[in-house]
Amino acid sequence: MFDVEVNRVSKRYLIRKPTSNESKGDRSWLSLLRKRSEFWALRDVSFAINRGEALGIIGHNGAGKSTILKLLSNITTPTSGEIVIDGRLAALIEIGSGFHPELTGRENVYLNGSLLGMRRREISAKLNSIVEFAGVEHFIDTPVKHYSSGMYLRLGFSIAAHLDPEILLLDEVLAVGDAAFQAKCLDRVTELKRNGTTIVFISHNLHAVSRLCERTLLLRRGEIVSDGPTNEVIAEYERMMSTLAPAAPHGEPVIAKPQAAEVVSLAFHNSNSQQTNSVPTGDALRAVVKFSVAEPIEDAVIEIYFYSIFSNLHCHFSTLVEGQQLRLPIGTGVVEFFCPEVALEAATFNIDVGIKRRGSRPAEFVDCKRAGVLNVTIGKPVVGAFHMPHSWRLSNNNGVVTTD
Amino acid sequence: MRAATNLQHTTSLPISRRRRLTIRPPKFSLTNLSNDLRKLITYRDLLYTLSIHRVKVRYKQSILGVTWAIIQPVAMALVLTAIFAFIVRMPSEGLPYVLFAYVALLPWNYLSTSLTSSTSGLVSHAQLITKVYFPREILPLTYVAAALFDLLIAGGVLVALLIYYRVPFTVNLLFVVPILIVLTLFIIAAALVLSAVQVRFRDVGVAIPVALQVLMFASPVLYPLAVVPARLRSVYELNPMAGIIEGLRSVVLHGQPPHLTALLLSALASIALLIIAYSYFKHVEATMADVI
Repeated sequence: MFDVEVNRVSKRYLIRKPTSNESKGDRSWLSLLRKRSEFWALRDVSFAINRGEALGIIGHNGAGKSTILKLLSNITTPTSGEIVIDGRLAALIEIGSGFHPELTGRENVYLNGSLLGMRRREISAKLNSIVEFAGVEHFIDTPVKHYSSGMYLRLGFSIAAHLDPEILLLDEVLAVGDAAFQAKCLDRVTELKRNGTTIVFISHNLHAVSRLCERTLLLRRGEIVSDGPTNEVIAEYERMMSTLAPAAPHGEPVIAKPQAAEVVSLAFHNSNSQQTNSVPTGDALRAVVKFSVAEPIEDAVIEIYFYSIFSNLHCHFSTLVEGQQLRLPIGTGVVEFFCPEVALEAATFNIDVGIKRRGSRPAEFVDCKRAGVLNVTIGKPVVGAFHMPHSWRLSNNNGVVTTD
Repeated sequence: MRAATNLQHTTSLPISRRRRLTIRPPKFSLTNLSNDLRKLITYRDLLYTLSIHRVKVRYKQSILGVTWAIIQPVAMALVLTAIFAFIVRMPSEGLPYVLFAYVALLPWNYLSTSLTSSTSGLVSHAQLITKVYFPREILPLTYVAAALFDLLIAGGVLVALLIYYRVPFTVNLLFVVPILIVLTLFIIAAALVLSAVQVRFRDVGVAIPVALQVLMFASPVLYPLAVVPARLRSVYELNPMAGIIEGLRSVVLHGQPPHLTALLLSALASIALLIIAYSYFKHVEATMADVI
């Protein structure tokens, strides 16, 4: 018994390319005459999801993940093929996208709930439970423009979590909010799963995917390259990610050509000196960058950038960390970065490695590449945005300390 | 937890109760219409909630609030009266000009507010359209509903005016209802088409104010139908607003029944237009999220 059946589905987007002197979005009637270029976001994709199954979908940006989500939730229609959905489907795509700032929390619960396809009666019946889960009892009659972003997210998730769908589509929603909230979301989703809800989870967060889904699809350029047990598919994805691809950090890089130097590879090692892509918060991490130099660079800087899945730069490693000067002669070399305690919260990070000249414009790299992913797993508890290394002691004898 | 028990209940539903949905590439057809209507009906609470909020949001943080729905047409009628009753001396079928103009301004404002706001209604909700599925016709419909609300409020003032000027109430006043229904069907058809076209071509939004201005002068809002030369009359009456305004004046101000065949014909025409407009809208809807 399938809850979702996707049969040879393709999705084509037509793009009218703007000419150089015509800015994007600014169209003239002449643009109607220009030929439109095609872009196939999905090509001949077929899969089926069993009732009660949790399916993960992973892949690079632009691999077609969100197109699948949009097709399943009927936001757009396929160019060819057919999708059969058997049951009440709810998409928990972007929490709170239907909120109106001027309306109160209560009014927004009704608005958002009915946007997700709930009846008013149903919402009224669940209102107390929704408000309680979100923890906004005291602010339910305040316009949501006065809410903190945390309250906003909690209310949005709470509404969607009360939909009681038969099929639940999840996007990166679990990647927002603080750790406590994320854990609460994941608990709720796990509970739904236990109760037999079919789940489709589309995410960059490999850790969350492996926790929730027993089966995973790997997409690449609009095609399914792998479909199987989550662990195997994630391993394959990590192999795929380790082949280097040009990246675009800080907007658009201007790479001087021919390249004077090149990033060859990046590897992470844990505290036991094993090569790995995953490390728990609070553990030590070693990053090894291999590079080759074609022209000597007098004052070089090598850096590693940690991007969130939303392409926000979270932090970086830099050979400039203590202001040292780095001279690169012709040949190959290896630079190692040591981090005694990883402060990042549990999530997946995209890693870019760049080589540049000191003092060059920020975007002027000699070379910069998307070099891999780092899965930070749950280790030291993170409440807030990151783990701050610290220790503590009792300074008088009033108290008993035990370790477990 | 209560939600969990609900859930158990849902999942144990018999299989036949599960809703089956097939998503296929869009095809232009009139036959899917009943399906689309059924879906719209399951989302009727969204239509209701959004329309209420549309009205609430508009008047929130304004001191006069809903009174604006009255001030707008009244101010307009007063200005027009100042010009056309005292300066131009426009004939007004033997009635006080302010009454003559106000009766026409109500349907006119209904049309122009509905069309102006609903045309941009889809585009201004691009965020929502690319994130959540719901029958998209709900968005333009809510603007029409909000304008209808304004019309009803402003209609209260009309009743006061009728009493003040001692215009007798007759049974023919009941014809207001079918006339407004025909007008509403026509407005919905236009709103569906305009908002759908606006998604691809933003030119519509710019053209609307101009088009409405032209249409206003081509409708008997400021002047009686009688001043239109007889040889132009047949062309003039192609404008659906001409019949509607004339009909309203005759049933409200003169206590006369409207031209029944004309009313029936425009009702049929509006329904036909609405069917075509709805099918077109649904066709555009299929890929709306890609281009908006």
